[in-house]
Amino acid sequence: MLVMGEVHTGLLQNSGEIPESTCRDVLQLLSGERVRVSRRPIVYAVSPDLLTGVDCRLPSASQSRIRGAGTVLSRSSITGGRVVQGSSHTRIERSGSDRRQPWSHYLARPGVVEALGKAKPRDLADGFAEEPSADGLDLGAISARFMDVVQSSPLLDRRAPFKIARTRLRWVAEPGEPAIHFTLHSDQMRTVRLVHTGEFTPAVVDLCEDLALHDWLLTALLVIIERARIGGTPGPEAAAKLAPAVDHLLHLWMPSARVDDLLSPYWESLDRRPGFTRQWQSLVDRVRDQLAVHTLAFLREKSGGGAR
Amino acid sequence: MLIFAISDKGGTGRSVTSTNIVYRHALQGNDVCYLDFDFGSPTAGAIFSVGSVARGTTRKGLHDYLLSEVAPEPHRVDVWTESDREGLRTKPPGAGRLVLFPGNEGGGELPAVDEEALRRCVQLFSRLDEEFDLVMVDVSAGRSFTAEMVLQATVRLPSVPFRWLVFHRWTRQHILAADGLVNGADGLLDVGTRFGHDRDKLRDRIRFVRTAVLEPDAAELVGLRDEQRAWLFACDTELRELASRHKVGRTAMLGKIPLDPILQWREQLISDEDVLASKIANAETAAAFDDLAKKIVDDAAWEGL
Repeated sequence: MLVMGEVHTGLLQNSGEIPESTCRDVLQLLSGERVRVSRRPIVYAVSPDLLTGVDCRLPSASQSRIRGAGTVLSRSSITGGRVVQGSSHTRIERSGSDRRQPWSHYLARPGVVEALGKAKPRDLADGFAEEPSADGLDLGAISARFMDVVQSSPLLDRRAPFKIARTRLRWVAEPGEPAIHFTLHSDQMRTVRLVHTGEFTPAVVDLCEDLALHDWLLTALLVIIERARIGGTPGPEAAAKLAPAVDHLLHLWMPSARVDDLLSPYWESLDRRPGFTRQWQSLVDRVRDQLAVHTLAFLREKSGGGAR
Repeated sequence: MLIFAISDKGGTGRSVTSTNIVYRHALQGNDVCYLDFDFGSPTAGAIFSVGSVARGTTRKGLHDYLLSEVAPEPHRVDVWTESDREGLRTKPPGAGRLVLFPGNEGGGELPAVDEEALRRCVQLFSRLDEEFDLVMVDVSAGRSFTAEMVLQATVRLPSVPFRWLVFHRWTRQHILAADGLVNGADGLLDVGTRFGHDRDKLRDRIRFVRTAVLEPDAAELVGLRDEQRAWLFACDTELRELASRHKVGRTAMLGKIPLDPILQWREQLISDEDVLASKIANAETAAAFDDLAKKIVDDAAWEGL
């Protein structure tokens, strides 16, 4: 019927970026299962998929009480040894029976939640964009836990270079005429409504994670620039506040790096409007220009001091 | 950094002082949040002038987060946008985020510390430490399960820095009670050591804050008779001696907040406007909050005793 997911993204709680080998150790959530790593164009490590059993109310914009039972697929990942993601998704399907089945039935279909009752895809999708009710399906809570597992690893020193909020990207994918809508809600909340042709593929999950990653990078850079108060504080102070962006963020922008060719038109359409890369590039230029201006001022001051 | 605010007894001005400290810390450009762990009477919303949560939230509060089955994401209140006070509703340039996590309306004190609540408490502190420069936790008055829980939680977060502020008034009873709360039987040091803290290291992370202090040379006392002033002076000297005998003296003190009539009438944030424009608050009070907001993160003020 449809697939829904939520991706949480945040800064790895470590003073510097961690090497590939440490990424492997941190993401070894299940013994025996391998951590997958890709190295180009940026080091990306992802944990094996883990299942969480759920039996709860499904989201519904019309407040219908529809029960769902099944499993959610989740994973944790680290990009560039610096950015952590916790990602969960599940496919909602109509149950063949009106009755709740034994767990063995659901475990045989990993990543599927069966709706017991008359669920309408549109109603489910609309309801998913809202905050989950107390007894509702809360993929965000599961994703947050998958981030916590990484962040609390004893292999990390917990001395992150700056404080920054996690962002949450909630997404729904339905079959139909291709389209994508990205919406910014509060400071941390975003939603993506995606319509794809043909069958759902895991590549859609990769796309949403990639979007979440780049949206977080953009958000983090905006926060750092705001904190620097360019023009409102003395140059050296502003420059010092911008430094963490150069040290830890600017090299991580690799849009569409892990996105399937078939899905890259979605990224391209978002890059046209609202224009992620355009905004990113202008912010990066701003940071670099500020640092250049500061360097010039510093040099001028130094040579002036020497002449006296 | 986590800051735990506790007081020897109720009515010491713990909540109003700790809220003013986070407010000042936010004005100084830091991202801060305030956790109302005073589960018996969650009134921080009133101090921040957020009417909808004046007596705690009716949505998912901290109480729900720690105790309910599903641990929902706790309700966040952005003070800069949700305060009813016009002067607070615009974030001043350069200020950081100021977020309140209210308790549940009608929540009630923690009945005990169970493993699940403790695990969630650790998770919450750990997540907020990722996001905020300073996390102020209002732990309520006296010995409580809440204090016990946060002492245990900090043992499990060895790399997250934390500090304790013990608020007390400047009277004989309060000095004795503050000493008892920290150094007495089943006090913070005893309980903390029992759960795995190093006693000396924990002591180095505890400082006292005196509230509603009336200095014998204060301007308010000009109208007093000489005999009254002499008596006050003698009292103050006696209290100083008592305090230093009970390890609540100057070296263990982080700061003091002068008695301000405005805070006796209404517990509220003291903005610069209250001092400069309407002049209802004393400049010394605002300066004392500002000073404390700097000192809580100043390592020099926290060197070993």
